Amino acid sequence: MVQAVQSTIQFPYKRSLGPVVGAFMTALTDRRIIGIRSGDRVIVPPLEWNPDTGDELAHDFVDVGPAGTVVSWSWVARPTVQHPLDHPFAFALVQLDGADTTLLHAVDAGSIDAMSTGMRVAPRWRAARIGHITDIEAFVPGEEPVMPAGDGGPAEEPVTMMDYNASITYSLPVTPNALRAEQANAEGRFLGLRCPECGRTYTGGKGYCPVDALELTTEHELDLPQHGTVTNYTIITPVQYPGQTETDPFARVHVWLDDTDVILGYQPLLDTPNDDVRIGMRVAAVWASEAEKADLAATAEGSLLGWMPTGEPDDDDPSLVNRIQ
Amino acid sequence: MPNSDDIALIGWSASPMVRSTDKTEAQMLLEVITGAVDDAGITRREVDFTCAGSCDYVAGQAFSFVQNIDALGAWPPKRDSHVEMDGAWALYEAWIRLQLGDIDIALAMGSGRSSTADPSLIYPMEMDPYYLAPLGTDAASLAALQARALIDAGKVTERQMAEVAARCRHDAVGDPHAQVTGEFGIDALLAEDYVRSPLRRHDLPPITDGACAVVIARADKARELCEHPVWITGFAHSSELHYPGMRDLTSSPSTTLAGKAAGLEEGPVEVAELQSAFTHEEPVLVEALGLGADVAVNPSGGPLAANPIMATGLVRISEAAGQIRDHGKHRTLAHSTSGPCLQQNLVCILEGDTK
Repeated sequence: MVQAVQSTIQFPYKRSLGPVVGAFMTALTDRRIIGIRSGDRVIVPPLEWNPDTGDELAHDFVDVGPAGTVVSWSWVARPTVQHPLDHPFAFALVQLDGADTTLLHAVDAGSIDAMSTGMRVAPRWRAARIGHITDIEAFVPGEEPVMPAGDGGPAEEPVTMMDYNASITYSLPVTPNALRAEQANAEGRFLGLRCPECGRTYTGGKGYCPVDALELTTEHELDLPQHGTVTNYTIITPVQYPGQTETDPFARVHVWLDDTDVILGYQPLLDTPNDDVRIGMRVAAVWASEAEKADLAATAEGSLLGWMPTGEPDDDDPSLVNRIQ
Repeated sequence: MPNSDDIALIGWSASPMVRSTDKTEAQMLLEVITGAVDDAGITRREVDFTCAGSCDYVAGQAFSFVQNIDALGAWPPKRDSHVEMDGAWALYEAWIRLQLGDIDIALAMGSGRSSTADPSLIYPMEMDPYYLAPLGTDAASLAALQARALIDAGKVTERQMAEVAARCRHDAVGDPHAQVTGEFGIDALLAEDYVRSPLRRHDLPPITDGACAVVIARADKARELCEHPVWITGFAHSSELHYPGMRDLTSSPSTTLAGKAAGLEEGPVEVAELQSAFTHEEPVLVEALGLGADVAVNPSGGPLAANPIMATGLVRISEAAGQIRDHGKHRTLAHSTSGPCLQQNLVCILEGDTK
């Protein structure tokens, strides 16, 4: 049984709408659907450019619908979490009255038996509209738009931005090498892998030598030293974003492990004022105690807390600064 | 007869095609790159340019293609590129790159681990972000709208679609790279429930983890290395509007254009490997390319037998090349597609040395 690590990634996008999509979204808040004139056609939803020529279109908007005709449809028996409705519905291409193209949206028809090509549908509006394609909750069979109770009314200002939020849970395999490296880390060791071809040493977990494209396995393993030299560093001034827990400027250092090719990048430096961080500093690994490990269990950092200056004289080799990989 | 500026496929390799692999994407690539350079009789050192096709959203990691470079043995540094497209487009870029004439050998690859997450949640993020993505427009829903349009237009029936699925699964029997194979009765298939009406499970491709790599070389090098190079005699792609509601979904003019630009009309083809991941797409593409009944379509089983997203198109090209090198065919066609409802289409024409 292969081990996997699950991670849920949020995709919180904030997008500017521009003069055409913005006008469409703004109109939605006013329970209107607009298209744009392109030659002798009316395109819905509106585009900024003529799809035939690529020429920029004048902002000649036209009200269409609100009712329209289903030109094609598909019944979704089991909606995904991203779909606009949480019960069975149809996706449909709806040719709104006055439009020469079709709008893709949901039709809340109750049953697949209520769906047919050529059927007439009208929008069911959301009460609180923000300038978003889902301000139309769905289309429903019939000619008459469904108005919500407690209508929030149109936006007071033109809508210029929209949010898009997706959340995807990924499951990625954890390779046997990565598992052994993690185990070594939990035991306070750095596991390395030495390529039999070029002799380069890598930190554990890598599956192959990227120089020779050779697979690395247990027979190539070795324990790496726990002392090293700072080759480069940066002082990070934290900006607040989701997941950022630091509030004050902090150092991250690159550590070159003694007698190896291994550089561990962006490592925490312990008990050292930012002004004292120097290239050439000698440092030693500090591992979490059993008690501290419990607290770290929820983080991805493993049981390495960071690096402590040893007090040995600095290495003054000026080329150290170039060793960041 | 090819001249010295022509470019040929000289080696290729595809991974096992499985629902869920325990390998990382880089490990899958390590395997197929080794397979492709071995097939070409070269080492990684001799490859002058590499281009990968993969997708961060599918991988679940930003800049996932950077990790994949580990599979190339890219030291000393190689010229490398990446497209967030099927590996068929990576091969297209590699083909363009070799035409500069300063280097001789290039490698293109495509890889995808669709088992990492639910493809129906990933696909919408690649759609128009204003009008489509917020509705969660998954690939199967979009394809179903095209299928319905074709059925309503009288261009295909649900029975014909089931016949495509049964034929592909039958043709894939015995293919070590196929994921879905076997003998299926049409009536039994039609008795199944809809996934997205009018599409049933058999109308949809399987969810596949897999990778493919292809080595190409300029003519002199190809002849030096390879007894039977497979010449790329035409390679083109063309795109339509993204939004499905603004296109005629019952035809594929961009496929027709790409076929013309690739020189399809200059002679007959014996085999066409089409990236028709949904059953109803096959008749659309066959019509757009003007393929006659004598052309064998997807003898490999095609994407309905194995659909390694981001490599499916490149697999079509390697399969079409295999028809020439290993099965005695003279001129074959490979097709790849990208975007909703066959938005963008690529055609590659391959020829053997002798007529």
